[in-house]
Amino acid sequence: MPHIYIDGKRIETQSGKTIIEAAYDNGLYVPHFCWHPELSVAGNCRMCLVEVGLPKRLPNGEFETDSNGNIVVSFLPKLQIACATQVSDGMHVRINHDKVIKAQEAVMEFLLINHPLDCPICDEAGQCKLQEYAFNHSRGESRFEETKNHKDKRVSWGPNVLFDAERCISCSRCIRFAKEIAKQDVLTFVQRGDHVTIKVQDGAKFDNNYSMNVIDICPVGALTSPDFRFKSRVWDMSFNNSICMGCSRGCNIQIGVRNNEILRIEPKTNMYVNKYWMCDYGRLSYYKKINENRVTNPTIKKNGVQIEVTWDEAISTAASILRKYKPSEMMFIGSGRSSTENNYALARFAKNVAKSMNLDYYERIDQTFADDFLRTNDLNPNAAGCRSVGIVPSSDKFSLKNIPENIKNGSIKLVYIMDEDFDLDEKYIQALQNAEAIIVHSLNHSKLTEIADVVFASSYFAESEGTFVNIDKRVQYFEPALVTSENLHRMGMKMSRLDKFGAPNDRWTQKELRNCRPAWKVLNMLASQFSVNFNYNKAEDVFNDIAHNIGQFNGMSYRLLKKHQGIILGKASNPDPVLHNYESHYMKPN
Amino acid sequence: MNINTENIEKNRMNFWEKIYLPEIARGLGLTLKRMFRPKMTRQYPEERWDPLGSYRGRPVLVDEDGKERCVACGLCSRVCPALAIEVQAAETPDDKERFPAKFEINMLRCIYCGFCEEVCPEEAIVMSKDYELVFASQESAIMNKEQLLVPVAQLQARLEFLRRYR
Amino acid sequence: MENLGWILLEASIKAFVILNIVLLGAAASVYLERKVSAAIQDRIGPNRVGPFGILQPFADVFKLFFKEDIVPRAADKFFHALAPVISLGVAIAVYAVIPFAHYVEINGVKYYLGIAPDVNVGFLFILAMTSVGVYGIILAGWSSNNKYSLMGGLRSSAQMISYELSLGLSLIGVVLISGSFSLNDIVLQQSGWKWNVFLQPLGFIIFLVSAFAETNRAPFDLPEAEPELVGGYNTEYSGMKFGMFFLAEYANMATSSAFMALLYFGGWQLPFPAEWLGLQEGSIGLALAQFATFMIKVGIFVLFFIWVRWSVPRFRYDQLMNLGWKVLLPLSLLNVILTSIGVLIFK
Repeated sequence: MPHIYIDGKRIETQSGKTIIEAAYDNGLYVPHFCWHPELSVAGNCRMCLVEVGLPKRLPNGEFETDSNGNIVVSFLPKLQIACATQVSDGMHVRINHDKVIKAQEAVMEFLLINHPLDCPICDEAGQCKLQEYAFNHSRGESRFEETKNHKDKRVSWGPNVLFDAERCISCSRCIRFAKEIAKQDVLTFVQRGDHVTIKVQDGAKFDNNYSMNVIDICPVGALTSPDFRFKSRVWDMSFNNSICMGCSRGCNIQIGVRNNEILRIEPKTNMYVNKYWMCDYGRLSYYKKINENRVTNPTIKKNGVQIEVTWDEAISTAASILRKYKPSEMMFIGSGRSSTENNYALARFAKNVAKSMNLDYYERIDQTFADDFLRTNDLNPNAAGCRSVGIVPSSDKFSLKNIPENIKNGSIKLVYIMDEDFDLDEKYIQALQNAEAIIVHSLNHSKLTEIADVVFASSYFAESEGTFVNIDKRVQYFEPALVTSENLHRMGMKMSRLDKFGAPNDRWTQKELRNCRPAWKVLNMLASQFSVNFNYNKAEDVFNDIAHNIGQFNGMSYRLLKKHQGIILGKASNPDPVLHNYESHYMKPN
Repeated sequence: MNINTENIEKNRMNFWEKIYLPEIARGLGLTLKRMFRPKMTRQYPEERWDPLGSYRGRPVLVDEDGKERCVACGLCSRVCPALAIEVQAAETPDDKERFPAKFEINMLRCIYCGFCEEVCPEEAIVMSKDYELVFASQESAIMNKEQLLVPVAQLQARLEFLRRYR
Repeated sequence: MENLGWILLEASIKAFVILNIVLLGAAASVYLERKVSAAIQDRIGPNRVGPFGILQPFADVFKLFFKEDIVPRAADKFFHALAPVISLGVAIAVYAVIPFAHYVEINGVKYYLGIAPDVNVGFLFILAMTSVGVYGIILAGWSSNNKYSLMGGLRSSAQMISYELSLGLSLIGVVLISGSFSLNDIVLQQSGWKWNVFLQPLGFIIFLVSAFAETNRAPFDLPEAEPELVGGYNTEYSGMKFGMFFLAEYANMATSSAFMALLYFGGWQLPFPAEWLGLQEGSIGLALAQFATFMIKVGIFVLFFIWVRWSVPRFRYDQLMNLGWKVLLPLSLLNVILTSIGVLIFK
């Protein structure tokens, strides 16, 4: 094992690694713009210049020492870039030395010459690498008195990426991403010197499935998202860790919230699942469903109209409907979009309280969706979890796909649907209209809620905590990001500043909180109507119950899931080690 | 424990101070003298005061050529210790790209500290001389962008002051 | 007893007149307080309500009448309501024995100007009544069910008991000299500039200091020391209940001033022989002159009370107690002994 010395500190490393990697593995930080662990080395930003040297040797092969007995190192007269210089045994590196700091200041001054310094209008401000380095590695003034170069602004590269050439510092991260990760090699530098800019190939569009990742890796605000553009300053948002519900990959995400509204979804590093990336579908597709058109209160149908009622009334109405039917006449439908906890509670309710074995969930398979990188064909984020807690039909006759016939011939009369809308599949909606009774947990108003007898306002994602089991059987924990009247008292530090400190007479807090609850909580209340006590007070209680009763989950707990980056089913005793996560730049908590 | 027995009130004061009366008489003399001095009171509704440029009154948005200077960067909102300011940005085809679609100051929360003005990179929000702020309801105390916009010509004194002393 | 009905009628007419005088006097002292404090602080003071703002106290009282009366949920409702009544009632009751002038003789009947002026223990009655006043404060403090109120009430009672001793002892000198408890006798004995203040300078100073403490006025207003006790015993009072405490404070101040005038400054005695005005003993003119004299004397003391309040900072509690027990009490005892010796020698 070769070892190097960084600022006198001895570091063990492997040959073939670059200095910046060796430093990063050991928690040391070398400032950089263009280097990214998943991309090839370009070495064009010059920010990671370090002083490199080897110890002097005497003719007899021994190290030369000075009068104090210290080894004399002969440093190279020119600074080297840490991202492209490979380590060699006994190498000495200085990353906090006058010469290095001077070089960093000079690089920063060069980079800022043509940078417009329009931080007030730039979306990146607050999580900008250039801004951060301007504080940490810059002299804070410019000697450049001439006019700055003007380049194109608001250039559309594709449907989801806007480019501002003035802000660009030509690090080429986006070019390398397009070529190496997204495999759509349409970006390139054009022009030279201070006129250099990035162009999309003529006639092409930068529109691959992963195009928006360039916005994240861009160290400055040159690339912005038209979807998020100017919606909020990053420091006004809260960012909570969650799991993407776009497909069964289970990409780790952060949900950016302000004013109790999801504004942005961005990937969170998890080297076991999504590394640093996520697809545009996950970022853009489903968060609007959570912001808009929500069922905000439980309702029951009276005279063909849905009327908002209290939770107690909705629960007792649902209980009286459930009492009317025989167990064999009921069908319980779980959801691959809902957390494992919710599905487990449903399975337990169906089997122990309603005594019905008719359980199933809606499979969302789209053969055109998958690609060879992150996307999968199964669009349910938690299909594996759903199955593992027992949401499987007891016989083929009573599975979901036969439900239209079963309703028609009267063998199924009551349908209990948890957190599912069948993507408004006409086949099921039509069939359900003939069912005698429908009880629904729903996020949004839809045709399904119109025909339901009881609608429970549901919060299964971003508003409640829980776990998803992804396609690789990895159990991952997600935390709530939005506030409902139910979780308000627990959200405290997870809320953004404005949401947290708003007074009742402030406009931004006047939006009424949604009175929705996770399904396990409703099922807990419903079970008590049948004199069965589930004893669930928080989602963790449900998960502990799962861990206790279902073999694959044995030994798991929220504490363990939060500590590790997800645990594979059945491997709670030896989970994957936590990997050192590289974060290029992010909003620092204040 | 070391108890101070030397420098206590009893020892510090001499006899005349201990009986208080001469000191009280001196105090009474002082206040008697004050009674006959000219008064400083300004008869407010009749006599009004025109504040100097250094006065921090109601924060307002600078209106330049019929448009606000503000680019909705949100720094005022961030720095505001009382969370009085709410800004919602939006895109504009103008050169400045960004403008406040909504800019509200809750005057019930505002404490007139002037941080918003100090932090503003565009000199777009300044403290005006307006000190007569009365509201009939909580809602009317929340001032929107139209109410906040003041033509730049009326703010010269403050802008001058800022340029000289900031 | 000639006719009880007539006596009662006479007494109630007098009581009505005097009650109005007292309340107007309290209003006037409120106005004076605000104007004097303003003058001391280089301000103008109230000048909006009526000419020079003289209607300000009435505006204040009207405002207090219209304010919401808030009673804490944990308070003892009955005593909470009773306390301000006791305070104000006692403060006003004292005026029953205060002679405002000597007498008016109509049809050979002497009408004394005072509700009960020839009560021979008027002096004791005043002392007794001012001591009862502490009940109002301690009840207010206790019934509010608030720690600050209770502390204020406790302080008030401790302070009153401490200073009542020196107050009473300092007055013994006056009684020794006049040989009577009747206030009219004490006043008459001081006729012709034989004011007790010249015979009893030490007694007067002790009385003055104790009177400040008895009335809870600055510099001894510890029961309502804002920095420590919020509002003291009236923290939980609002509306006219607070107004009654407020009026009682000023009525007490006027009582103390009247007492000082009566006992040490010749009461209603004119500062010159009555003959100079050419008025008969018992005539209405002389009675009015005497009344005016008395009022001026009282007014001067009220002004002094106010002046002191806005000049002298509040005492600390230990200073207050030291002064009461270690200074004023021995001095008042000394005063009693010296006076007794003097009376023995000169009479």
